[in-house]
Amino acid sequence: MKKVIKLTVNGMEKELLVDVHSTLLDVLREDLGLKGTKKGCNQGECGACTVLIDGNPVPSCSLLAVKADGKDVLTIEGVAEAGKLHAIQEVFNEKGAIQCGFCTPGMILVTKKLLDDNPNPDEQEIKEAIAGNICRCTGYAQIIEAIMALAGRKQVR
Amino acid sequence: MKPFRHINVPGVAEAVDYLNKFPGSSRLIAGGTDLLGVLKDDILPAYPELLINIKAIPGLDYLREDENGLSIGALVKLAFLARSPLVREKYKVLADAARSVGTPQLRNMATVGGNLGQETRCWYYRYPHGIGGRIQCQRKGSGPCLAVGGDNRYHVIMGGKGCFAACPSDLATALAALEGSIKTEGAGGGRIISIGEFFHPLGNALKAGEMIVELQVPPLPAGSRQHWLKYTLREPVDFAVVSVAVLTVLEAGICREARIALGAVAPGPLRALQAEQFLKGKEPIPEVLQEAAVLAVQGAKPLSKNGYKVEIARVLVLRALEASFAGHK
Ligand SMILES: Cc1cc2nc3c(=O)[nH]c(=O)nc-3n(C[C@H](O)[C@H](O)[C@H](O)COP(=O)(O)OP(=O)(O)OC[C@H]3O[C@@H](n4cnc5c(N)ncnc54)[C@H](O)[C@@H]3O)c2cc1C
Ligand code: FES
Ligand code: FES
Repeated sequence: MKKVIKLTVNGMEKELLVDVHSTLLDVLREDLGLKGTKKGCNQGECGACTVLIDGNPVPSCSLLAVKADGKDVLTIEGVAEAGKLHAIQEVFNEKGAIQCGFCTPGMILVTKKLLDDNPNPDEQEIKEAIAGNICRCTGYAQIIEAIMALAGRKQVR
Repeated sequence: MKPFRHINVPGVAEAVDYLNKFPGSSRLIAGGTDLLGVLKDDILPAYPELLINIKAIPGLDYLREDENGLSIGALVKLAFLARSPLVREKYKVLADAARSVGTPQLRNMATVGGNLGQETRCWYYRYPHGIGGRIQCQRKGSGPCLAVGGDNRYHVIMGGKGCFAACPSDLATALAALEGSIKTEGAGGGRIISIGEFFHPLGNALKAGEMIVELQVPPLPAGSRQHWLKYTLREPVDFAVVSVAVLTVLEAGICREARIALGAVAPGPLRALQAEQFLKGKEPIPEVLQEAAVLAVQGAKPLSKNGYKVEIARVLVLRALEASFAGHK
């Protein structure tokens, strides 16, 4: 069974014919070619597939595309503006918060949501915000440091 | 995922209608965070032909408090429950339980109805069809429970019968300590099922064509305090090895009421009635609490590999009681 859905993806309106059993993740990657959203576990556990829907982080692997009909979707491709990296992306680069990069799109998006809601989160709030994003490379320290820098705080150890 | 049909229903009546028109071949989908896992792994002997999407039913995501207590619409998201100032302030175990589920991302989609309706995480039951064929078992309708002779480290230590899978729902544990119940709608009208009667060793009490519309929590005993604890292997993103929710009432230094609910140790949330009775009328000094914690796990019948859960349950009960009584000061 197929269905026509409307999505706003990174500010652009799209009308798509999708299989009702496709996940939003597969539609983003395969139908729209937006490969920045990663498929890690495909089970809701790792956060690599995180996108913002109407501003809230959700695992796109665990959401049927038809259920996103009419929604506003932000993927990592929509975070930089006019060819210029977002401040979060800049700081992740600077602080070595990226190694293989697989977790990075999800990490950047949950960080965006965190800072949009609360520009000065403390370390605990940062840890809670990224609790659903698994990173197998950095050990999290640089990621937390990067977000602390954005939040205008020095990391206390 | 294999194909299915998918329809959005505008109301509870329509959802129930479809469930009854397609018995055995349709499924409700709310947040889908549990169901999509079940479908991707193709674990069910009968793959559903139709998914009935209830997520867009208007007006089913309310949180209401009045003289009858708290009512929670089935579509309330866990993220919302966990953040609600009312729930955090007065129904703390519910907020804490909701906050302990999965990841922040999952909680933005997961609903309370789906939390109670979710399927067990027993790894035999959940074994993916794609890897050498699905595993049959008692819960799926044929064969014995494989956990009994197999790897049962996360299975039940009490109350198993035929199937020894543990109840995965964290909200169920919290609701049990609050003596909550579940309101349903079905073809023959609605009913109210107390949380203690909702889970069975082989599934839950929902009849074919019946759906959860609301969770209900009666008014709290005056001056009561609550505490929630969940033991997991990995702190965020994990199901409970054991969870505990307690509610206590202390008057003039004497325990007037204690409710202790244990999660993930049985097919459903389990009240430790003997321990609760023992605490009543006593001063909650350390020796009394220790004795209560021992009573809470008395009669446990662990399987070959999960005896450790008995000890974890005992310690969690002790710590939860200590924290809850300390809250009275
Ligand atoms: C990585 C991961 C970690 C998780 N961790 C936890 C955890 O720590 N604790 C925990 O409790 N759960 C956990 N879960 C399980 C589950 O996703 C959540 O509990 C969630 O609340 C399910 O809600 P949902 O709306 O997404 O349900 P859905 O997936 O939509 O539905 C689940 C089941 O319930 C049925 N259902 C849904 N709504 C109703 C209704 N109103 N009436 C009757 N039946 C209904 C559906 O038909 C389906 O069979 C986890 C899941 C994942 C993927
Ligand atoms: S790919 Fe979606 S959470 Fe891992
Ligand atoms: S940088 Fe490799 S997983 Fe995070």
